[in-house]
Amino acid sequence: MSPDEAFVVTILHALASTQLEAIIVGNAAAAILGVPVTTQDIDLLVRDTPSNREKIDKFCAALGAARPVAISELTTAQTILGAAWPVDLLFDRLIGGLEFASVRSRSRAIVIGDVTATVASLEDIIRSKEVANRPKDQAVLPLLRDALRVIQTLDKK
Amino acid sequence: MDEDPDRFAARVVEVRDRLAPQLPDIDPQDLLLIVQSLLRPFGSGRRFLLREIRPGVYVA
Repeated sequence: MSPDEAFVVTILHALASTQLEAIIVGNAAAAILGVPVTTQDIDLLVRDTPSNREKIDKFCAALGAARPVAISELTTAQTILGAAWPVDLLFDRLIGGLEFASVRSRSRAIVIGDVTATVASLEDIIRSKEVANRPKDQAVLPLLRDALRVIQTLDKK
Repeated sequence: MDEDPDRFAARVVEVRDRLAPQLPDIDPQDLLLIVQSLLRPFGSGRRFLLREIRPGVYVA
């Protein structure tokens, strides 16, 4: 297991121990699904509730990290610093109007050792990046779309 | 990776050869990269998290 994979397992254990329900989204999710992409952080989609805010503080402690801080005034997203890699928290929905419940309904459960990762579908990852349409999204979208076509072709067999 | 490297490479090439005629507009090198990555299960040693070692320079 690489340090990158081990870090994901660490996150999954921290989520399990704090009972924080989260969906891995973004390029980290694509990578877990097997797409050859890279990223600088792990994005987690969570529900914004008082209970989850408390769990998030415990989750940060479990990671040995600081409490989350706002990324900017333009977004409600927060980032957790001090862990091996940054972990970003997105609340309630992804860009593109993809609500937590709908993303979860299409997500995949991937068992990794003794923990299970809830990972957004590649279709949702693509849809969100299409709407975000930042230069970094535009750069990765062709590969994500090609990977989706490969997966769909393999699934037909 | 637990699987014998030669066996893994043969499996990647076999899947690539099967898919290529159905996906002719995907760049052959990209197709090989995608198939190789998809066939490696999570936990097999893949690297995907970047670190910025100095401004603008990233390593996996």
